[in-house]
Amino acid sequence: MRNGSKSLLSYGLPALVLVVAIALFPSLAPNPYVLSSGVIVLNWAVLATAWNFVGGFTGYISLGHGALAGLGGYATGLLIVKAGLPSFVALAVAALLVAALAVPIGFAALRVRGASFVIVSIALVLILLLVFQSWSSVTGGSRGLVVPRPFPGMLRPDHHRAFFFLYGGLLLLALGTWWLLDRSRFGMGLKAVREDEDKAEALGTPTFAYKLTVFVVSAAFTALAGGLYALWFGDLDPVFQFSVLTGSYIVLMALLGGVRNLYGPVLGAIIVGVALEYFKVEFGNTPLHLVTTGLLLGLVVMFMPDGVIPSLTALVKRLRNREDSSIREVTAADLAEQRREREAAKS
Amino acid sequence: MPSGGLLFQSIILGLLLGGLYALLAAGLTLYFGIMRVVMIAHSAFLILAAYLAWWTNDRLGIDPLLSLVVTVPLFFGAGVLLQRGLLSRLRPATLTMMSVLITFAIALMIEGLLGYAFTGTQRRIQLGYGTASFELFGARVAVVKLIAFGLAAVSLAALYTLMKRTQFGWALRATIQHRDAARLVGIDTERTAGFGFGLGLATAAVGGTALSLDTTIYPSLHWHWIGPLMAIIVVGGLGSVPGAAAAALLLGLAQSLLQIPMGATWAQTVFYVALFATLAVRPQGFFGGRLAQRF
Repeated sequence: MRNGSKSLLSYGLPALVLVVAIALFPSLAPNPYVLSSGVIVLNWAVLATAWNFVGGFTGYISLGHGALAGLGGYATGLLIVKAGLPSFVALAVAALLVAALAVPIGFAALRVRGASFVIVSIALVLILLLVFQSWSSVTGGSRGLVVPRPFPGMLRPDHHRAFFFLYGGLLLLALGTWWLLDRSRFGMGLKAVREDEDKAEALGTPTFAYKLTVFVVSAAFTALAGGLYALWFGDLDPVFQFSVLTGSYIVLMALLGGVRNLYGPVLGAIIVGVALEYFKVEFGNTPLHLVTTGLLLGLVVMFMPDGVIPSLTALVKRLRNREDSSIREVTAADLAEQRREREAAKS
Repeated sequence: MPSGGLLFQSIILGLLLGGLYALLAAGLTLYFGIMRVVMIAHSAFLILAAYLAWWTNDRLGIDPLLSLVVTVPLFFGAGVLLQRGLLSRLRPATLTMMSVLITFAIALMIEGLLGYAFTGTQRRIQLGYGTASFELFGARVAVVKLIAFGLAAVSLAALYTLMKRTQFGWALRATIQHRDAARLVGIDTERTAGFGFGLGLATAAVGGTALSLDTTIYPSLHWHWIGPLMAIIVVGGLGSVPGAAAAALLLGLAQSLLQIPMGATWAQTVFYVALFATLAVRPQGFFGGRLAQRF
């Protein structure tokens, strides 16, 4: 009973807050610029949540999710321009195409672990940048690809508002899917991969199939976010669509908020996304935003590798001075740490 | 069908290029061997060294090679600090992943600071011998390319001698092979790992200077390099120095030969094709390298 009310408090209440915030923000936003910033932040939130399907469950850190978003955007744009599909049909087809493409990519990338996986994910971004820049007869190359707007007659503020709600719906869908996976047997298997892949495999978890499946789901959501961006922004350039920086922002957001947590990436996206918009206004396009991003990422990795939410809950727990007796999730790293402390105390 | 002369020219250039790649990838292999760390910032340090060489030449008017006197010890120190101050403080269970992010963050900071200090303008060193070249059996070899190759050859030979002949080299190799056992026989593995890291970064100083002789540099150039270098160490088998050298020569040669029919941009893709092919067929790499799949 107690457990039930707790899960309602930790999942239901934030969900309610989120829904209300999404519903109210467009009418509260003082001007279209703030509203468009809201769209960008929601875009980050969807990307970070989609990333968390791989990063949070399996512990595989991908720096290449920006490439999947870029692919979704270009696929959507090209399907509209070259194949003449209606905007939202193109979006759905693009997401399916990227999901299909994620199968061979995941097949190659997920065969290796840790560092090698990260290398492959970076390589994915770099190779796509190369291809989309060079293959200009199809992609428009560095001249860019203009994507027609889905609502031609609409004024700019209304356009922002429509996309704000579309992104809000997508975010809730992604969060709901993550939440369902989190409590399923499938999700349990993925978390086993995260904690000790060899043991999970020895216990009969089909680790490779699980990893591949969740990678494809993550790719589909990422592609949807990228496709929506293409429809909203209307202009694609390989340099921005296939940038290693996009992937690193996503990782920074997810890590900052907390990857083991449903709402962690959203929180991280709000913090970092708002900061990015602010820096853009304050510093313009000086390279200093790279320095601040790097510094922030470094600080999070060194001092808060589990993210803001776990750090804050730990702090609250300590202030209340009460040990929770229920079984909580402990990471392999925590266990190793505890064991070392015990042994140190013994000797 | 390209003429024999063009083919020969491409082979010569490919080998020269491959030698340089081998030097650039050697550092990455060292870090991976010592700490199981993939150092994303390696190529950012290359570009930093290239900028320092350009700055020496442009502002002080001396030969860029002389900048090595300052950059090599400077980078060595930075490597030691990096390992002792940041990497060795990460939790062992998540070391590999988090080290990637930390070095990524460093790469971003270097890129941002370079852009801030020198602007995004493309720079190139103007040398008296910059355009000089000579004939070798009908192939034209630029002097700067030969100097870069020479630098790579000398520093790789020095690295080899250091690893095989000196006491520090023994300690370093022991630390790489089995850290606990090395500690048991009395090696200060922490110190050795720090110096090993410094050594890796010192190779970046030499490599970056060699690079600056012949390339146009700009702050975000390091993204252009990280892909090929990573491909080289994966194809060679993570942690294997001879593997990385062999893969570097092979891929450099392949890139140079493919430039004839495909052009410079598409020839770049050979690295990524090799990377994905390696992962699909032999994830542990083609030359030695028994560690890769686990990390």
